[in-house]
Amino acid sequence: MKKRLSAVLACCLALLMVLSACGSQESEPSAAPTAAESDPGTAPSAESSEEPAAEPVTITYCNFNSSGGNEETLQRMYEAFHEEYPNITVEIETIAIDDYFTQMQTRIVGGTAPDCFEMNIENFAAYANMGVLAPIEGVDLSGLDETALSAFTVDGVQYGLPGNFSNVVLIYNKDLFDQADLEYPTSDWTQDDVQAAAEAIRALGDDIYGYYQPLTYNEFYKACAQFGGSLLNEDRTEFTINSPENVAAAQMMADRVLVTNVQPTAEQMGGMGDWDLFMSGRLGMIPTGIWAFNTFAEGCDFAWDIAVEPGMEQKATHFFSNACVVNEASENKDAAMTWITWLCSSPTAAEIRIEAGWDLPAINDEEVLASYLDLTPPDNREAVFESLDYLVVPPVIEDYALMSDIIGQQLEAAAAGTVSVQEALDEAQAQCEAQITLG
Amino acid sequence: MTASPFLLPSFIGLLVFSLLPIVISFFLSLTDWNGLDRIAEAGFFEEHFIGLDNYKAILGGGEFWRVLLNTLKYIVLYIPLMLACSLSVAYLLSRERRGVTAFRIIYYIPVLTSWVAASMIWKSMLSPQYGAVNNLLALFGIDGPGWLLDENWAMPAIVLVSVWKDMGFFGLILLSGMVGINKSYYEAAALDGAGAWKRFWKITLPLMTPAIFYVLVVSLINAFQLFPQIMIMTDGGPNGATQVMVERIYKYGFRYYRMGYAAAFSWLLFIIIMLCTWLQMKGQKKWVNYDS
Amino acid sequence: MIRKRHLSAAGYYVVSILLAVVSLIPFLWMISTSLKSRGALMSIPIEWIPEDPTLSAYGEVFSRFPFLQTIGNSLFISITFTLITLVSASMAAFAFAKIRFRGSNVILKIYLAMMMIPTQVTMIPLFVIMNRLGLIDSYASVILPSIFKPFAVFMLVQQMQSIPNDYLDAARVDGAGIFHVYGRIALPMCAPTLATLAVTTFMESWNDYLWPLLMLTDRNKMTLPIALSTLNGQYNTEYNVLMAGSLISMIPIIIIYLCAQKQFKNGLMAGGIKG
Repeated sequence: MKKRLSAVLACCLALLMVLSACGSQESEPSAAPTAAESDPGTAPSAESSEEPAAEPVTITYCNFNSSGGNEETLQRMYEAFHEEYPNITVEIETIAIDDYFTQMQTRIVGGTAPDCFEMNIENFAAYANMGVLAPIEGVDLSGLDETALSAFTVDGVQYGLPGNFSNVVLIYNKDLFDQADLEYPTSDWTQDDVQAAAEAIRALGDDIYGYYQPLTYNEFYKACAQFGGSLLNEDRTEFTINSPENVAAAQMMADRVLVTNVQPTAEQMGGMGDWDLFMSGRLGMIPTGIWAFNTFAEGCDFAWDIAVEPGMEQKATHFFSNACVVNEASENKDAAMTWITWLCSSPTAAEIRIEAGWDLPAINDEEVLASYLDLTPPDNREAVFESLDYLVVPPVIEDYALMSDIIGQQLEAAAAGTVSVQEALDEAQAQCEAQITLG
Repeated sequence: MTASPFLLPSFIGLLVFSLLPIVISFFLSLTDWNGLDRIAEAGFFEEHFIGLDNYKAILGGGEFWRVLLNTLKYIVLYIPLMLACSLSVAYLLSRERRGVTAFRIIYYIPVLTSWVAASMIWKSMLSPQYGAVNNLLALFGIDGPGWLLDENWAMPAIVLVSVWKDMGFFGLILLSGMVGINKSYYEAAALDGAGAWKRFWKITLPLMTPAIFYVLVVSLINAFQLFPQIMIMTDGGPNGATQVMVERIYKYGFRYYRMGYAAAFSWLLFIIIMLCTWLQMKGQKKWVNYDS
Repeated sequence: MIRKRHLSAAGYYVVSILLAVVSLIPFLWMISTSLKSRGALMSIPIEWIPEDPTLSAYGEVFSRFPFLQTIGNSLFISITFTLITLVSASMAAFAFAKIRFRGSNVILKIYLAMMMIPTQVTMIPLFVIMNRLGLIDSYASVILPSIFKPFAVFMLVQQMQSIPNDYLDAARVDGAGIFHVYGRIALPMCAPTLATLAVTTFMESWNDYLWPLLMLTDRNKMTLPIALSTLNGQYNTEYNVLMAGSLISMIPIIIIYLCAQKQFKNGLMAGGIKG
């Protein structure tokens, strides 16, 4: 009886295997070029709007960035697009970022991925290297910001278009600066100026802090650039995590917490958010993203303004961008390409985006961007654009998430003071070398 | 065979939704699949096959043992505390006093809350300076620890939250075991003049061992699979103190694109859980009482 | 009946109320947060009771997505899921506990073993299987896995084993068919367990997030947790809205629990008399 049971079991298994093998043939999307692809009428250029292709297509677009408040904005953009390209219907799916990539990965493996979708920098290279993304071709890229574009290339091939764009500026509490009788920060400030001002502000009170820049992976690679270092060597074949410049950068960040204490420790923060600390009026300066503007404008009952982030050996400032990419297996690549190009670079989309206060479009058309400057606070919005001259591109490698977690964990130990900065970075270097193959 | 019509639906489910995926995942554990390439394509297995390399890498590295130790730390703290709490819950609910129905409903509310919501609430309540917990402790003059931000306290904090969430559920299971006890035992004991405490230890506890055994088996399996609360409350931090098996599996599979490695990791977890459950099953003859 | 006064009344209520407070605090905190005006989860000092309570977060929840449709989807999925689980699991448990057949021990062990595999690993293979079966984007893909819930089977086997065989044999002798024995005798005797299971299964299905997210891509089929997750932004989360949504999403579970709770109590009574 036992034997018969296991025999039955084995048969069932075998049957299922066969079933799945057969099914797999059918559900493979055909690799042959589709009609749409060979039809020049759908070529994604400005002219196509005048001569719409005969065949209407429906494509799907997945994104996470509109989740949490901007779904309607995205819908408005699509409606404007659809008016221009009535033959392309886009079904938009919005998924929260937490499990967005789990879903995307599963759907790619299962062969049910959307025609085009959004990617963040952390995951972009992994997808591009696996051949999951279609090279962006036949599209006019001249309207897009070059630094942002360059972040989404692998081996010189463009795999994604920067859809949105956010950078980091130094936001400061004017009232605290006045109380401490300090000059407001300018775009010439270095980390030394910040340190001096932070110490003066820290002296104002026991629970008033000068500066907040946590020793996290993101802040670290930027600080490295400010000190003239980087995480990888120039041709990205070796890790240089524990270079002297990087150690100096991390040391400065750690000392602000552990030595001069112009920045609160985790205990002193007590689980409070950094934005909340700033909005409570007890923090002098915080380098943070321009997406904080709306929240700060609402939540701060004191005067604040912004400046370009401080530099050191050189200026360096963060930018965050999500890419719009096209699925290599899609049967409607051209239509997908048309949609994401429009979404990323058309003035109409850009205007809707700015008007909604979502974030910046990654375009270089200053006229469109000009309307962004009219919004206040902060008064010194020019600093947002001035910062664009100093953008650092994150070190995009295939194992980006693994690398950033390894470095992040070591930095956390250094920030807590359990190991020295040098030890932490040596360990991060060793672990990255052991676990990640570059090349 | 009279059993077959009863067994059939769930047996089909077992084959299609459980056994087959597990077998596939075993084959994947022998590959260097990144989790993005299509698996259905011909030659997939030959191309990606790397034998037992994943297993060797995992067992040879320090991470696996560190993470296993974290998981065991959780289990050692969680199981006794959970058992004590849910026994108390069961005992309180077995008394026939006014308001017992209300208590039964209230104790179950944590069970009814989703892990996502519960974790977010606890995360804010455990915030050292501004959270509810430390503010309450301060009323009694206790200087609360850093909880989720403190390497030494993060895991105990996770344990406390898990016990809070689970005690109502296991309490109810224990309750049904407790109530099923034949009343004549108590009457006999009362005649012998045994006090409440003695009756609990000598009669209630031994006679509800099947329910306790069940709770132990299930909670141990659940404990090894500890995951959602970690993801939301600490994401494995601080400094890796709450990195546990499933958290690593998820990160390797879906964040670092090493699905083959993740599959091997989970097969090792599977073997560990199986060993522990097997030991429990072996051991049950010594203490579980099925006579009642 | 159970012996009373093992604890003095005062002691009993002190401990009970303490436990009740511990159980309820986070829940009350949820309510308080949902009534706050904006992301004030970390306001200082803590506002235990919101200074100017507002229902705007609740309005926001209703305006963000097709709420009724989403609730309808979730209800449909969870109810079918729960029913199928209960039927399938109790049938299997009956077979394991009360019908002697060879191999039953081995199969039960396989069932138990299946509880031990973390779902994160079988997720991708299962997705591929669902895809081959052509079930992606159908409710069936979310509901069908309910026919195999080893946890429920295991729990019911424990319960059914404690039913004295004499009861069942007596019924058989009276000429009752095996299905009659299962439906009329075995099931009612498992009422407390079934009630507990109904609640936990419903809750599991109701709160399940990742699997429906992977399976149901059509916005019209979206379930409540997926809808709620869209309140999470890349850079910020509106906690008040999230808590309001979570509270609303708890209502059906609490209703189900209150219904099951009566069942549970009756079952306990039956258990008490039975002994």
